[in-house]
Amino acid sequence: MTYGPSAGQLVRPPEHHHETPYVPVFTGERREQLDTILSRYPTKMAALLPALWMVQDVHGWVSEQAVEEVAQVLELSPAYVKGVLSFYTMYHQHPVGKHFIQVCTTTPCNVCGAEDVVQAFLDATGCGELGVTSTDGRFTVIEVECLGACGFATPIMINDEFIESVTPERAARIVAERD
Amino acid sequence: MSDTTGPKMVTLTIEGRTAVVPEGTSIIEAAKTVGVLIPHYCYHPGLPVAGVCRMCLVDVERFPKLAPACATTVMEGQVVHVHTEKAREARTGVLEFLLINHPLDCPVCDQAGECELQDYTFQEGRAESRYEEPKRFNPVEDFGGDVMYVPNRCILCTRCVRFMGEVAEDPVLNVSERGDRAFIGKAEGHDLTNVWAGNVVDLCPVGALLSKDFLNKARAWELDRSASICTGCSQGCNITVETRDNTVVRLKPRSNPAVNEYFMCEVGRLDYRWINRRDRLDQPQVRGDGGVLHVADWEAALDAAAAALRGRRVHVLASANASNEALFLAGELMRTSGGRGVFRVALGDEAPLPGVPDLSLRAERAANGTGARVLGYETLSTTPTIAADDAVLVLDDSLEGDVPDALLEAIARGAVIVHVGTTLPARIAPLLQVALPITNHTEEEGTFTNLRGRVQRFLQSRTAPGLARPSWYVLADLTERVGVTSGFGTPAEVFTAISSVHPAFSELTYAQLALRGLPILDATARGLDAPTTAGVA
Repeated sequence: MTYGPSAGQLVRPPEHHHETPYVPVFTGERREQLDTILSRYPTKMAALLPALWMVQDVHGWVSEQAVEEVAQVLELSPAYVKGVLSFYTMYHQHPVGKHFIQVCTTTPCNVCGAEDVVQAFLDATGCGELGVTSTDGRFTVIEVECLGACGFATPIMINDEFIESVTPERAARIVAERD
Repeated sequence: MSDTTGPKMVTLTIEGRTAVVPEGTSIIEAAKTVGVLIPHYCYHPGLPVAGVCRMCLVDVERFPKLAPACATTVMEGQVVHVHTEKAREARTGVLEFLLINHPLDCPVCDQAGECELQDYTFQEGRAESRYEEPKRFNPVEDFGGDVMYVPNRCILCTRCVRFMGEVAEDPVLNVSERGDRAFIGKAEGHDLTNVWAGNVVDLCPVGALLSKDFLNKARAWELDRSASICTGCSQGCNITVETRDNTVVRLKPRSNPAVNEYFMCEVGRLDYRWINRRDRLDQPQVRGDGGVLHVADWEAALDAAAAALRGRRVHVLASANASNEALFLAGELMRTSGGRGVFRVALGDEAPLPGVPDLSLRAERAANGTGARVLGYETLSTTPTIAADDAVLVLDDSLEGDVPDALLEAIARGAVIVHVGTTLPARIAPLLQVALPITNHTEEEGTFTNLRGRVQRFLQSRTAPGLARPSWYVLADLTERVGVTSGFGTPAEVFTAISSVHPAFSELTYAQLALRGLPILDATARGLDAPTTAGVA
């Protein structure tokens, strides 16, 4: 079990989540992809982080079933996989919105008004609160530590997309452009 | 181990005392040899070294900084200080961090009194807390099996994680999350149902992992403790019987490198309620003229039993949990009269502990089956021929389950039955001539022989119920009255007699057995040795 929400869990468990049958990640092309990754390491255990990333790319988060699958594929115990998964805050242990928005609020961005950008995203997405997924399941907004673009405050990331110089006005437009 | 064949020895100084230990020994183990206990949490001699708690930091001369005593091996001429200002300050700091999120709920914690966090804080911790912020809170979790997890008390030493992973090889525990949020997690859907999982409760240095069975039963300082042997199977794990007000409240493993290292299984650990049972046979009983069983005093009962057995061929149906001493004395009755000795023993599944060589929950679920065999008893496979004028001595066999047909037939034919037992089984009560109450293994002392032929002593931990007497005492008295033995006054004297009669025991004395036992002489010849790994392959 996990004890959430705590300070370390950035994403809250959704109130409504439809259980869908688990689709295995490591089949076909992705299995080959994993085999390529495995060929770089002396042990299977070493490929745990990339394997978890692959799971998160496919499902958007890492479920208990995914933990079991990764454990089986890499010949580890599910407990070990769960321990690693929960150590890193960038792996999601709960479902998140289709568009996962991370807004930098570290000091320079904060000085340049990042708090307002965060609020603009929360309003535009309908999430209301940090770490809460919007009721339509499209958005989750969290604060994130330095994204390394202090000269271009405020930077954000939407999934893997990096956007600089976001203002509250631009935030609303960015949200409106998403499906 | 002699110096010529053993490992290279290293001499070092710890707290001004000279320690001579084999090369490769850790400082923490070397310190133990000269009577210095270095405070520690994550280190445990039965587990792989982790070096995560930083509690065992010691000051080693000519080292640039403090060294963890668990993960630093000894070096020739090394000078180690445990109680310098620098080392103490470091440990006080560690303790202060450990107590940041600790609830300090010792008054309601089961571990209080046997808690290493309590002990070391008392020794080296700060007298007052400087922490004013709110403490982290996580709810209590049922880990399954007999284990409960109280995360707020946890200091994350990872002993439990390492035991389940490396020793039990059933890795269901992990450290979840990180930093001040970290806690011991359990894989979803995998409970601590492993038969060895209960050892994590013993290993836990604080009150984070608790036994559900023992929860809120007693405070540690209320318990009386005696060295004993587990009767759960033929492994013969060394245990401590812990009693409160003459009632056994828990069993704990007692370290013995030759048998069970530091561990015991759940089958042995949780099977103790029978020891406290109240429906004991606690007065001698004799069948009177009218055929009615009535209470008698010991003199009359022993005379009646001796009269019933004298001049007859005596067969013995013994419990495989009877001591070597009791089995030997009862055996003298059958040996001198030409009778047979048999015993019944329950069988179950084997459950080895993978991380410890030759430690397993054994199929034979009784403590002294090997002792019985060595002393001339057989497992009840063939039907003993019991004549109508024979006598049967039942030595604490419960007669539950499959009672041998031959015994029932013999009873039907009129063989005399003397029952020497801890209880009065309903099936045999109507048939016996004399019932003599004896104590169970926690109420007397004696020895068991485990499946590898190791003879181990158990000591008394409770008082006897009613008029019950120790089994060796009753049987010594009875056999003397029958005229086949004489002069036994202590279990040690009985053991001396065993070693003079049975070659297997010839090299052993009761005193030498001490608290860790010794193997019988011809264990190898009897095929009792552990199978070698080569043999398995």
